[in-house]
Amino acid sequence: MSQNNMLAMILAGGRGSRLLDLTNKVAKPAVSFGGKYRIIDFPLSNCANSGIDVVGVLTQYESVVLNSYVAAGGRWGLDTKNSGVFVLPPREKADEGFNVYRGTADAISQNIDFIDSYNPDYLLILSGDHIYKMDYDAMLDYHKSQNAELTVAVRPVPWKEASRFGIMNTDENGTIVEFQEKPKEPKSNLASMGIYIFTWKTLRKVLVADMKNPDSSHDFGNDVIPEFLSTGKKMVAYKFEGYWKDVGTIDSLWEANMDLLGRRSELNMDDDSWKIFTEDTSTPPQLFGPNAVIDRAYITQGCIVDGEVHHSVLFTSAQVGEGAIVTDSVLMPGAVVETGARVTRALVADGVKIGAGAVVGSADSENITLVAKRVKGEE
Amino acid sequence: MAKAFGIITAASNRYVVEGMQDYRPISSFSFAGRYRLVDFPISNMSNSGIERIQVYISGNPRSLVEHLGTGRHYNINSKTGKLQLLFHDSENINRLYNTDIAAFMESIEILERVREEYVIITTSNMVFRQDFYSLLDQHIKSEADISLLYHRVDNADVSYRGCNYLVLNRQKGVLSIDMNMGNKPDRNVFMETYVMKKSIFLEIIKKAAKISSMYYLARAVALAVEQYDIRGIQHKGYFAAITDLKSYYDANLSLIDQENAKSLFDMKWPIYTHTTDSCPTQYFDGASAKCSLISNGCSIEGTVENCVIGRGVHIGKGAVVKNSVVLAYSSIGKDVVVDNQVIDKWAKIIHANQLIAEPGKPGYIRRDDTL
Repeated sequence: MSQNNMLAMILAGGRGSRLLDLTNKVAKPAVSFGGKYRIIDFPLSNCANSGIDVVGVLTQYESVVLNSYVAAGGRWGLDTKNSGVFVLPPREKADEGFNVYRGTADAISQNIDFIDSYNPDYLLILSGDHIYKMDYDAMLDYHKSQNAELTVAVRPVPWKEASRFGIMNTDENGTIVEFQEKPKEPKSNLASMGIYIFTWKTLRKVLVADMKNPDSSHDFGNDVIPEFLSTGKKMVAYKFEGYWKDVGTIDSLWEANMDLLGRRSELNMDDDSWKIFTEDTSTPPQLFGPNAVIDRAYITQGCIVDGEVHHSVLFTSAQVGEGAIVTDSVLMPGAVVETGARVTRALVADGVKIGAGAVVGSADSENITLVAKRVKGEE
Repeated sequence: MAKAFGIITAASNRYVVEGMQDYRPISSFSFAGRYRLVDFPISNMSNSGIERIQVYISGNPRSLVEHLGTGRHYNINSKTGKLQLLFHDSENINRLYNTDIAAFMESIEILERVREEYVIITTSNMVFRQDFYSLLDQHIKSEADISLLYHRVDNADVSYRGCNYLVLNRQKGVLSIDMNMGNKPDRNVFMETYVMKKSIFLEIIKKAAKISSMYYLARAVALAVEQYDIRGIQHKGYFAAITDLKSYYDANLSLIDQENAKSLFDMKWPIYTHTTDSCPTQYFDGASAKCSLISNGCSIEGTVENCVIGRGVHIGKGAVVKNSVVLAYSSIGKDVVVDNQVIDKWAKIIHANQLIAEPGKPGYIRRDDTL
């Protein structure tokens, strides 16, 4: 807390049910992305790079993998004497029964004691399932310069799509004057990214009142922001222009992975000044056999390739056997494509084997094929 | 508490790796793309449950100290275990004085205070996978005083020059330890790995230090074959000894062979190293990679064949890199042809059109050089 006196809380309780079988056993923030990462590495690394020392991770759905993953704060350098990543699932308290988190705001309310113990000036609220690089310290500077009680990060979206988002309408000074959740006729194209910086004292008061309000759904968008607006607390929009992706569906998860294949990927994964940190898997470098054919690809350590890889992303320890052809696809950690198999426009889940000679996916499919179960090969 | 503590010695001063060694000790050499040689003995010990590990450092320690850090990435318990770095004076006017025994004697008080009953000593210029726990078990069951690990080779006439080899009787009793001068292809190359009681170890080094300042542990043990029951234990699986530039080059390239790679790298026996958090490697249109081991963080636009490539290397469009070991952060420019080279870190090959050395005699490009 030494640098900017801002504590971060990451909302990581969502299931991500549109990711189908990928989130049967793990919560969405723990889903693998970009060869060697998990989605939650992005907000956690952003925190570490922004000089934030203490991060609470609010978990709920299938949190075993996620909890043990984020608990090792050393991966993001957040394990010094005065820093840490703390897993905060719902818990039983002395004066009340066991409560699940009833909404995004409630997840924070139920951890007021944790936040108070660090006595921060500012609270940063993040979502655990977005892919982007952002300097939260610069956003805090903006928050302070505007004397705001709440700063909301927004990004311009195409007008046609604006009705799918929470839209912030601002005046000419960037002060938020109206908030519309999925408006039929949007007045602005500035969509909320679910990233908030609150002045903690102000938010604390609002949350304490909200907890007792029987009509509240205890949600930031539905309850807290309208409350800030109606009581005239200063809210400003902070415009973000870089790469940002919500990987909510199999298609968008596939697409975000394919974005890494660009000549100059907008995510700039190789920027040494803003690294994304992750688990170290202790696997050897990627190994190519005599029959390997590669053109555009994004491949990480532990992979063994002796077949063809075209325009695809291979995650840790994925394997492509001799004569196999992988095109426009994503092979998640430990996925194996055996000899002569063909994988096209597909996303092969963790550890799934595509048997010898089997064919999955097709070049003209409308959606990306998710392969989450073993595919038998030729006998 | 573990029964044994571990010692990892610096490579013997007999070995000279041209070029590479000007910048760092052999222990600190990059190997197989993302590792340093010292990672292999430390991981072997850590995986065997050895919690106190001493690494002896000679020569410029900067890279090694930075790499080893607190030892946490080697899975060593930070409370009950310890990774100790022991420096010894390498500024002696005559290199002959830089022996392992001299290094031990400088740390003799530390060695005497160690509580573990046994010591396992190994070196950092040999690469292999070995479960030291089972080796210790085997040693104790055999009731021998000293056990020495060896690897049977059939090419000692052309390789392993300057390595020691064991002469064994039928019962694997050690008759002598001699230096390989390349007279015979079949040899039991000594892996500079010893198992014995700490008390015997201390006795041997103290005695040796009194007799000659130039004695090595191997020599001292060889002189004690009458006094102690010394036996050889055969190692099987991948084995490489780094003794000069050619063996460094060969050992790296040997891991392109999948069988070799599988023998050295086993999921159940991880080799730990210091992670740099580099992103995956990006291959662009027109890239080609065959028979190669490639680390993360690279951008490959050209052709890579029969190579070991370190982290963050850039291979430009139209470039062809064959039969080479390219160390981290080097850059091969557009249309440059490279064959049979060891290219040290941060080198830039941009002006030269081609760098080709004859097979069997790898060339060496210096660190930070621009060609």
